[in-house]
Amino acid sequence: MTISIWRYSHLALAVSSFVFIVLASVTGIILAFQPISEQLEPYNVANLDNITLAETVTVFQDNYPEIIDIKVDANDFVIATVFTEDGNNLSGYFNPQTAEYLGEELKPSPFFQWVTNFHRSLFLKSVGRFFVGLCSFLLFLIAVTGTILIIKRQHGFKRFFSKIINEDFNQYWHVVLGRLSLLPIIIITITGVYLSLEKFDALPKTKTTHQVDFDTLIESPKQNASNFSVFTNTSLSEVKHVEFPFSSDVEDYFTVKLHDKDLLINQFTGAILSEVNTPKVEVFSALSLNLHTGKGSILWSIILAVATANILFFVYSGFAMTLKRRKSRLKNKVKAEDADIIILVGSENGSSIHYANMFFKQLIKQNQNAFIAEMNAYQQYPNAKHLVVMTATYGQGDAPTNANQFLQKLKEITNTKDLKFSVVGFGSLAYPDFCQFAYDVDQALQQVYKPVLPIFTINDKSVDAFSQWVSDWSEVSGISVTIPQKHLTIQPKQLKKLKVISKTKTNVDNTFLITLKPKKHHQFTSGDLLAVYPKNDYRERLYSIGKVAGNIQLSVKLHENGLGSGFLHSAADGDKIKVRLVKNSAFHCPKKAKQILMIANGTGVAPFLGMLQQNKKVESHLYLGLRTEESYQIYQEQIKQFLFDGKLTKHHLALSRVGDKHYVQDLLKRDAKAVAKLLYNNCVIMICGSLAMHKSVMSVLEEITVTYNNKPLSYYQNKQQIKSDCY
Amino acid sequence: MKLKHISILSVLVLGLLSFTTLTESTKYKCMIQMTNYTGEGAYIVISLINPEGEYDKTLYVKGDDDEWYNTVEQWWQFYDKKQHNIDAITGATVSGGGRAIEVIDIEDSKIDAGYSIRFETAVEDDEYYINDVQFPLTTENIKGKHEGKGFIRYIRMMPN
Repeated sequence: MTISIWRYSHLALAVSSFVFIVLASVTGIILAFQPISEQLEPYNVANLDNITLAETVTVFQDNYPEIIDIKVDANDFVIATVFTEDGNNLSGYFNPQTAEYLGEELKPSPFFQWVTNFHRSLFLKSVGRFFVGLCSFLLFLIAVTGTILIIKRQHGFKRFFSKIINEDFNQYWHVVLGRLSLLPIIIITITGVYLSLEKFDALPKTKTTHQVDFDTLIESPKQNASNFSVFTNTSLSEVKHVEFPFSSDVEDYFTVKLHDKDLLINQFTGAILSEVNTPKVEVFSALSLNLHTGKGSILWSIILAVATANILFFVYSGFAMTLKRRKSRLKNKVKAEDADIIILVGSENGSSIHYANMFFKQLIKQNQNAFIAEMNAYQQYPNAKHLVVMTATYGQGDAPTNANQFLQKLKEITNTKDLKFSVVGFGSLAYPDFCQFAYDVDQALQQVYKPVLPIFTINDKSVDAFSQWVSDWSEVSGISVTIPQKHLTIQPKQLKKLKVISKTKTNVDNTFLITLKPKKHHQFTSGDLLAVYPKNDYRERLYSIGKVAGNIQLSVKLHENGLGSGFLHSAADGDKIKVRLVKNSAFHCPKKAKQILMIANGTGVAPFLGMLQQNKKVESHLYLGLRTEESYQIYQEQIKQFLFDGKLTKHHLALSRVGDKHYVQDLLKRDAKAVAKLLYNNCVIMICGSLAMHKSVMSVLEEITVTYNNKPLSYYQNKQQIKSDCY
Repeated sequence: MKLKHISILSVLVLGLLSFTTLTESTKYKCMIQMTNYTGEGAYIVISLINPEGEYDKTLYVKGDDDEWYNTVEQWWQFYDKKQHNIDAITGATVSGGGRAIEVIDIEDSKIDAGYSIRFETAVEDDEYYINDVQFPLTTENIKGKHEGKGFIRYIRMMPN
């Protein structure tokens, strides 16, 4: 497989360091709770911005005969060591305004110390520290390569945060969480590397050295420390450490460490004896430590913990994706030159390869001379009679990485003109450029070879659609091949038993409504899918759910020998059937839209019946395409009630076998101006029904938006204003 | 029998009481000024040394990560055997050029009695000085300034 250098690096880095990364992450998550637990201690008693150093020094001098030092830690707790009147020393937290003793200094618990040790050196001292630092750097590189992969995937830096469609759990969350935790992870790794470098003396040495001219020290004019201008002009929040003079000798002085400079202060006059700025390296070290550990901020600690937990998920999901990809590797038994049937695959993440491989293996089982390869491996096939191209589309209608040279190679390398080809496009209607690359490939192939089938597109990895193509191809090629469906679907798990509570008779179109009662804890809404298992095996059939009065209402067309429809039709009131509820958030009624335009034909109206029933105040339009007035009867009562209750604003019915024979797209064309205006006003259009209807409706909408709004339809698709659920 | 018990008990109690009165002590301010060496913060152990030159007591430990205590080699053997609790007398390490002021507690009976005080220093992956600073505990000495041989430039002590 051609894998881009970035993905390869991303994976190689992860493989080489994941053990250390997992260990560091687990301990890191635990350690995030240390600053949180410290911050929750009650020693932060005053806002240090509002207290001057002079106030604190004065109140301490009033209360204690001798003060050794006063410190302010990252939590803004004030720590001091003093002698009391009775000659004992007292050390711990103090109130900076009253000098009241608050409690003993928190010693890091042995547990946290143990974990910290493990986190930074794996108990291996310097060697361990080196490895942890190195892995921190590798993790930084992983984050960088990951960022590049996202930018490539999203086609540009500007689209970095635009929506990703959830096709695969691991992949989707790997990308989504990757984007969100990118910044914290980069901060964690850079500071981690920095802290390691510091341990290994790899940073420029800078020392603050004071020069005091002891010969010129004077004891007058004497001032109280409370009047030292340095002390009155410094707020406690700027202070790190104040060391009091060791004795009353004039050669002993105050040492004041602020965040940005070190000062030596004459203990009698308050004059600044020496002032040295804190070296940049030291400032950055302190910053690194706080950023890396979360010291001093509960919020940042929580962000660090969450980002670190995400790292663990990335390790898991990353490897899960890799294993899945490896499973879909291509293996051949015959040479390309000897093969009769050539299968070429264009796939970015391996899901199309899964289907292509199934097809390939079945051909091999039938003793066919089949050969499978990536599209970029296109070459001369002297013996080939059939060419099958199965490809996904990447990004904005582009070729997947392993197919990006195909169109060029097709021009350069020629095969016999008798080569018969068929193109299968994999994609999702949720993207604007549905199967665009497959269409391009089909066009290009038509120039040189003979199509045996028109291009075939498969939405959302539909098993049924794929089986349909296989049987079509089998027919035209004369090569009998079927793919057992159990290879394409996973055994259903966690089925629920639901009771049928009502069912209408079939109407003229053989359509009926069936209502099932869910259990209270079942979470679903209109637009979700209900899977039924007619034969109690791997074969599943999906139906769009309308949530009506809390129940599951389906609109089903009874097909002759229809597996799913026949099964539902034979169910009697009170029967319990095994089902699975499938969340389909891409087709949920948008919560924020102010206007909704619903377009359906036939049984596609089912989810809309539910959405309208749940509708409270949103302006809604329903375009419904049916055959005859009698077809309408089973929905009529519900829709009239919606209109009466104000849940449905406007209803348009297109009847395809009566009078002028209208389809929904004809009505949309008729109302073009109004539809354009609705889209302009951020209205969301939802389409449910047959793929043929979807295609016609989309082309009419394209025409409308271009004519009236001067925008391509993809503009609105990218704004999530078009939602579809078609079959 | 009972009477015997009581008398033993009273002897014990009296003994203990007299013992506590013996352990009168003084707190000293002790300032440690480091040389301008480069590298990690130094581990400094301040110990009381008896007239025979053996460790009597640990007075202070600068360095709170016991992972590195064994770098203070000589003291580590004593500490390891005793396993005494030093939580209350530990503080952070001091780096090159830095200084620290600590409070240490010395029993009055040890002054002018042949005992000395030892400052032992070690820096991880660097030198170790068994007696960076060491001097006899006399009334005179204890108020003075003492030069160091290793990581310590000098120490100053002062009774409170």
